[in-house]
Parts: sequence; structure tokens; C-alpha cells
Amino acid sequence: MTRVVVIGAGVAGLVASIRLADAGARVALLNKGTGGLQLSQGTIDILGYAPERVERPLEALAGFAQAHPGHPYASLDAECVGTAAGYLKDLLGPALLVGDPAVNLQLPTAVGAIRPTALVSPSMTAGACVDGADFVIVGLRQLKDFYPELVAQNLARTEPPGGGRITARSVMLDFPARDGEIDSSGLTYARALDDPAYRRRFALAVKGVVGDAGTVGLPAVLGLDDHGAWADIAELIGAEVFEIPLPPPSVPGMRLNRALTERAKSAGVRVVPGSKVTGFHASGGSVRSVSLATAGGAREFVAEAFLLATGGFESGALHADSYHKVHESVFDLPLRIPEGTLVHGDYWGDPQPLFTIGVDTDENLLVRHPGGEPVHNNLYAAGGILAGATRWQEKSGEGIAVASAVRAADAILSVAATATSQGAAS
Amino acid sequence: MLTLSADVVVVGGGSTGAGVVRDVAMRGYKAILVDRADLGQGTTGRYHGLLHSGGRYVVSDPHSATECAEENAIISRIQADAVELTGGYFVATQVDDPAWGDEWAKGATETQVPFEEVSVADVLKAEPRLNPKISRAFKVQDGSVDGWQMVWGAANSAKQYGAQILTYHRVTKIERDGDRVSQVVCTDEKTGEEVRIDCNFVLNCAAAWGGQIAHMAGCPDVQVVPGAGIMIAMNHRLTNSVVNRLTYPADGDILVPVHTVCIIGTTDQKADDPDQLKIAWDEVQQMMDCGELLVPGFRKARAIHAWAGARPLVKDSRVGSGDTRHMSRGMSIIDHSDRDSLKGLLTIAGGKLTTYRLMAEKVVDAMCAQLDDPRPCRTATENVPGSESGKNYVITHRLEEREHDRHEDQILCECELMSRGMFTKALVKQPKGSFDDLRRQLRLGMGPCQGGFCTMRATGVALETEHIDIERATGLLRLFLKNRWIGIWPILYGDQVRQTALDNWIFQGTLDVEHLPGLTHEEVV
Repeated sequence: MTRVVVIGAGVAGLVASIRLADAGARVALLNKGTGGLQLSQGTIDILGYAPERVERPLEALAGFAQAHPGHPYASLDAECVGTAAGYLKDLLGPALLVGDPAVNLQLPTAVGAIRPTALVSPSMTAGACVDGADFVIVGLRQLKDFYPELVAQNLARTEPPGGGRITARSVMLDFPARDGEIDSSGLTYARALDDPAYRRRFALAVKGVVGDAGTVGLPAVLGLDDHGAWADIAELIGAEVFEIPLPPPSVPGMRLNRALTERAKSAGVRVVPGSKVTGFHASGGSVRSVSLATAGGAREFVAEAFLLATGGFESGALHADSYHKVHESVFDLPLRIPEGTLVHGDYWGDPQPLFTIGVDTDENLLVRHPGGEPVHNNLYAAGGILAGATRWQEKSGEGIAVASAVRAADAILSVAATATSQGAAS
Repeated sequence: MLTLSADVVVVGGGSTGAGVVRDVAMRGYKAILVDRADLGQGTTGRYHGLLHSGGRYVVSDPHSATECAEENAIISRIQADAVELTGGYFVATQVDDPAWGDEWAKGATETQVPFEEVSVADVLKAEPRLNPKISRAFKVQDGSVDGWQMVWGAANSAKQYGAQILTYHRVTKIERDGDRVSQVVCTDEKTGEEVRIDCNFVLNCAAAWGGQIAHMAGCPDVQVVPGAGIMIAMNHRLTNSVVNRLTYPADGDILVPVHTVCIIGTTDQKADDPDQLKIAWDEVQQMMDCGELLVPGFRKARAIHAWAGARPLVKDSRVGSGDTRHMSRGMSIIDHSDRDSLKGLLTIAGGKLTTYRLMAEKVVDAMCAQLDDPRPCRTATENVPGSESGKNYVITHRLEEREHDRHEDQILCECELMSRGMFTKALVKQPKGSFDDLRRQLRLGMGPCQGGFCTMRATGVALETEHIDIERATGLLRLFLKNRWIGIWPILYGDQVRQTALDNWIFQGTLDVEHLPGLTHEEVV
């Protein structure tokens, strides 16, 4: 049974771990923080802008890859991405993830922009920005990260991508998450809304202010552990309801993160949270082990394959020092660094070259010297650490993460299978 | 068109202009101050925040040193709420000659700048992050001052004496009637309306822009050379006191704790245009090296923002015009009745923030002399509004306030502990203000996250309280992000890259601000 160490528990690390463990690998998932899902919008993007708005992401991938030869999607083709997205959908089930990876939904953001994304929580689909949509956006006085006027008024002055018009109005509701608390986070609301009694009071209060008409848009705080909370609220209000993602902490992201982590554990993945990989041992062209800083001293994790899924600059996986030397934090891997200056002053201009820095891989996600030979013969990479993408502008982060995770996992399993059959043959 | 009238029009809303309008108003003249932008948006807001003890100039510019020492005591008192009495040190690092300290101490004694030589061990005890290799140290009475609060304090005092403060009024022409100034013509930048102000006197306090203003009155060739300096804010205080290198004034020799940050400065490069100051990567590197010399490990600390300011240095025939550092830091008053046969116009330039009140006193004295109307200056003895209690600023002020109101009010900006109430109050006072205007008074978006979390909240609250409409709200949101970036990208390294990645993820990723309506060719003031 092959042993694999996965470093990083964002969507890439979690998906790869589950796929590996389900196929019989012994997987240790080492993570320092809690992964990027709860910093995200909590949906699965595949490709949102190229740079024009994308309606059918899988169809757009081939052209996008051609225009961006150094992009992860240049080797992760539409079939791979579609399969991986389908795999993730199956892992999470329809209570948490719905949609068609081939078709983007156009959903309102918390400032009232219309954002393309592929797979979403079923609690978000009623927010689709199509001609004739009639929304009532409801804010909560005690939640400072959501302003319903901003959402409604921007939506009302924007032509939806398919043409036509959206009607949107807003209401502010004074309804504390906890008695006497004026400044509550979205997470506090989500936890409160897991409680059926609070939920009922909440829904009736919303019903009281929205009246009869319209689909009700609410901040994405409708329950954390209870995945049916939003549907319950919709029923109590007697209207269609949708959630709008907030800045972090992302409750929808947290739901996905929790579900995937539980799924990984039940697949037998050994999840080791809260510790940093501080070193590694390599010999004979292979990484043999990594050391993890834990209380009482370092612990070695030996494996046949290693998957680096640590993210980009946002997680600390990449670090630029004060001389603009960029380092990969775990293995000090060679990086693909664009020529010229790394940062420019035009905020609304071209993507910043700095943020396209990352590791280069072959088509099986084996990390290589930029354009050259593998750095180690058993070190793979997936997700945000890959060079060439500006995920937040393209709306491509989860698609890259899931597709690269699935392909890397399959490559690791395939090498293990070959080794086993060779071992059996000799 | 709107026509106003005043005895005196003050052009320029930096520290000089604010000081002058206060002084003019306190002497009983009807005064109007105009600035093309917000108060303190020019050089006053783009410096390191040092309230000089005078120590910096005891050898190079003894007259300035004495003035600084005297004004330091006055400003700390009359504008107590804008000043933190941090204290300061002059330290000789391993590359500085400790013997120069003798010359410095002699200068300090002669210029009456209070100081005390202290043991290296005592300094390191007080400032544990300082370079342990320092060989000599003097303690001085440096402080730090919030330039914006200082300017607004003076402006609010002027208002109490009947002055009008017209921000976002760009001067387009100064009319004359024969050999006298008669009218200042402005454009209200927020509405596009023309505003004409009849007056007897114009005090040109436009500093680095003073030459342009004098030119509008038909007085050519007033040469104010912009001496550009960059400053970098680090995300927390590396020292509790101001730290100066014990050397002849040079680049990167000052570290100043101001509010939640500390600021290293500065450089001095002759600039051609005070509106086009650049922050070069090699200057940033130079500041980092200087910081490293004062505080080892400085490069590993987090830089959050950089800016450049233009010192208004009056060209002086004694030094070449390329050498801005050694031009006089003293002030100059140009009397255009002598120079250009135009009565009723004085141009003031040079000087420094610490001595802004004294500069104002001198220029208003000069005006009174030309008008043959002597009236005494009273600005040194009366505290400005907000400083009535005489209590100086301490860094824990806001924490104390939030501890009192946290059950009643939300915190919109966690980095700077700015409450919703503070924000809405400032909005009421400045309903046409941009978020940068409000930032200068509230420190909105000035902490480590550089607006990552508070920008959307500020936008939402401003819209919700009906101070602005959706078009302006969306425009201001975008403008604020764009303007923050001006000061972030030149120093983008280390943990601020990580923060920027998160901020980009929030704004471009989750919120998709790039695809809000109306981005193309947007002009928001």
C-alpha cells in the first residue's frame, strides 16, 4: 500500500487526499492553517473571465489555454476539469453542491456585481441574475459585512449577462444573532441559525419586512452544520431564498471545508492539523520524508509520494523577501518567475506578474525545474502553488485546484500500481 | 457663479495655510482659505510625523533648531490632541563617528535645544530593538504629530473666529485692480461652479505649488523647488521613541512612531513637478538598509505603505538648485509689492511643519505691516478646539473609547479601531468627502490590511445613510482601492504580499469589483 503525504488542506489537498485514500493509499494530510475555502466565496469557479465574461467555462478552456500557454489550464484540459468537477460534486452531494461545470451561473456579490461561477451551494441558485429577476435583498443591522442597498442598487442598474433587467430592492432588518450584541460576524449568525427555534424567529422577522413579492437575497450565513437551514428558512418565509457570499470568514466555504475534511477522515486519511512542515529529506532523486514541527519535537513522515498543495502568497506558501527574491516555503523549489518588474502601479490594469509566480510541473503535476527536468521524481503540486494563473481575476481557483488534485492523485496511484506490478513480477 | 468677499484669502490648506488662516482670523480679519483638494493633502500629510525637538538642526541650521525647540513646546500644548510626547534619541551607530556627538552637544547647548546624554545601556533598556552596536546616545524632546489633525485643529479654530474653509476649490486666477490684488477666482471641484472671492489681501501658502499661484497673479519666476522625500510606514512600532542617527542630516536617518505604525524617512531628491513624485525601488532599498542600521531585522518587519512628499524649498543662490537637502529649512516670505509692484500678495514658502505656527505669525505680521494695521498675534496661547483638555495623544486612546462603546457601536476598521459612529459623524461634517478625505481624519484603511475589510463597510454605510448615491458609492469604493495601491505597490514584499493576495481575493475574487458598472473613464472627486 503506497504512502502519500499531502501538504495543505485547501480544496486541492482535501480532494487529492480523498481520492488517494479511496483508492487504497495511506494518506497523511499535513496542514498548518485551515485551508483557503473559508477565505473564498465558497463556490467552485472554473473559468469566469477570459477576460470577457464566460458563460460556458468548459467550452472556453481550449481557447483560454491557447492564449495562456503557461497557465495550469494549458495542460489540464476541459475533459480533465469537467471530470474533476463532477468528482467533487459527487463527493459533496446535492445538499452542498449543485450545478453544471459546463455552464456558469451569474450570481450577485456582496457589492452587487454579477459574478460568474460554476458549482454552487443549492442555497445560492435562486440568485441567478437573469432577465426579469425580482429580488428583495435583506441585510442585518448587526452584521457589518453586508449592505443590502449596495447590492440591490448596483444590481438594479446592471444589465444581466443575458440581457434584460433585474428588479431589486433592499431592506435592513434589526435582528441580533445574540442578545445585546451589535457587532456579530457571519459565523455567529450561521451558528445561531443552526438552532431551529432561532431560525424560526429569524424567518418570521424576514417575512415581516419583505412582504409578498420577490426572491429574497440574504447574506450567506444561513446555517453552518445544518445544510438544510436555508431551505427551512425559505419555507417559513414562503418565498424563494438565496445566499450572497461575504468577505471572509466564508460560511459557505466553511461548510465545504468541513464536509470534505470529514469525508477525508472517514476515507482513512490521517489529518494532522495545526503544524508546519519545517524540513524534508531527499535522496536518490526522491523526497523520502518531511518533518513536521510538533510539540515535543519534530516528527518525520515517510512516504513514497508527496503532494504540495499549500496555496500561493495568501497562505505563505510563497514568500517574497525585501529584495524581491521569491521562495517556496516547504521545499525551496525552483519557481517560474516572469521577466521584468514583478509589480506595477495600475490597480485596474494587467494582472500583476508577481502573482503568477509558482512552481512549474509536467502534465502529471510532477514539479520540475521551469521547463526542464523534475526536481524530485515523487514530488507533485496542485492548486494555488501552480504558476501562471491569476485566480481571483480569472475566477479559476477551484477549477485549477480540483483538476490538478485529481490528476496528481491519479498519477501517484498509477506510479504506485506500476511499482506494485513490477514488484510482483520480480 | 458665486461671489464671496473677505479681507484675506489664504491659498493652500496645508499646515502653513491652516496656521495662517487661524492667525488672520484670530487677529479679527474676515478670512477664507481655499485649497484645490482636502486639507493636508499635500506635503503636510506626506511626511514622517516628527515634531522636531530641534536636535536635527543643531549643527546644520542652528536658527531652525532654536525655533523648533520653542515651537515644539507650544504645539505640544496648544494642539495637545495631535501630539504624542514620545521623546527621542540621537544615536551613533557603528558607522557613525561618536566624536561628532561632541559637536552636536555643543550645537544643542548653543541653540538651547534641551538634551541629555544617556548611557547606551539605558537606551537599549528603553528601546530593546535598537541596534546594540550603538556607541553613544542623547535624549531629546522629539514627539510625533498627526499632520492632518494638526491642520484640522487650526482650521476649526479659525472657523470659530469666523473664517471659512473651502476645500476642493482650485484657484484659477488672481485678479488685480491696478497695483492691488482684488479677487481670487476658483473652481469648486465638486460642483464645477466658479467662485469669485473679492479681497484686499492674498496670502499664498501653496508651498511647493506656490510658484504656480504667484504666476496666476502675474508674478513670474517664483521658484519653489520641490525637494521630494519618501517615507515608509511599518505595520507596528519598532521603537517607542523617535530615533535619529547622530550624524549630519542625511537620508534615512529618522524612525518615528506615529499612531499604530512607525515611519522611516526620508530621502531628498529634486523633483520637477510636485504632483508627479515617484517612489523608486532603489530608494526603498536605501530606506531598508538605513532601517536595518537603526533596528536590526528591519527588513523582516512588514512595510505596509509608502508615500512621497515635496518639501517647499525656496531656491537660494547660496546653494546649487540640485542640492535640495542643504537649502534652507527656514522660511521665506516674498513680498510682491517690492518684487513685482503688486500690493496685497505675500508668498510664503520653506520652513517645516514643527514651526508652522511661527511661520504663520511672521507672515501675518508682514501683512499687517504692509497694511499698516498692527494687530498682535495670539495663536501661541490659545488651545485649538479638541485640545481644550490639554491632554496629549496616547496610542491607547481609541482602545479606551471602543471599550466604552463596543456594546453600542460596530467597529468598521479593526486595524485602526474606527467605529461606525466615528465614520458617520465625519460623513455628516464632510458629506462630499472622498474616502481618502475621511481617511485623513479617521485613519480608515491605514492599518495592516490597507482597506481590505473596511472599504466595503465604509461604502455600505455611506450609501445606507444616504450621504451618497450608488454611482458615487461605487466610484468611491474603486477610487479608494486605487489610491491605496499607489502606496502599496512600491513596497510590496514580505507579509504585505500575503495581505495583498488576500485583499485581491476579497475584492477581485469574492466581490468582483472589477465588474461593477461604470468603471471605464470614471472620474470621482
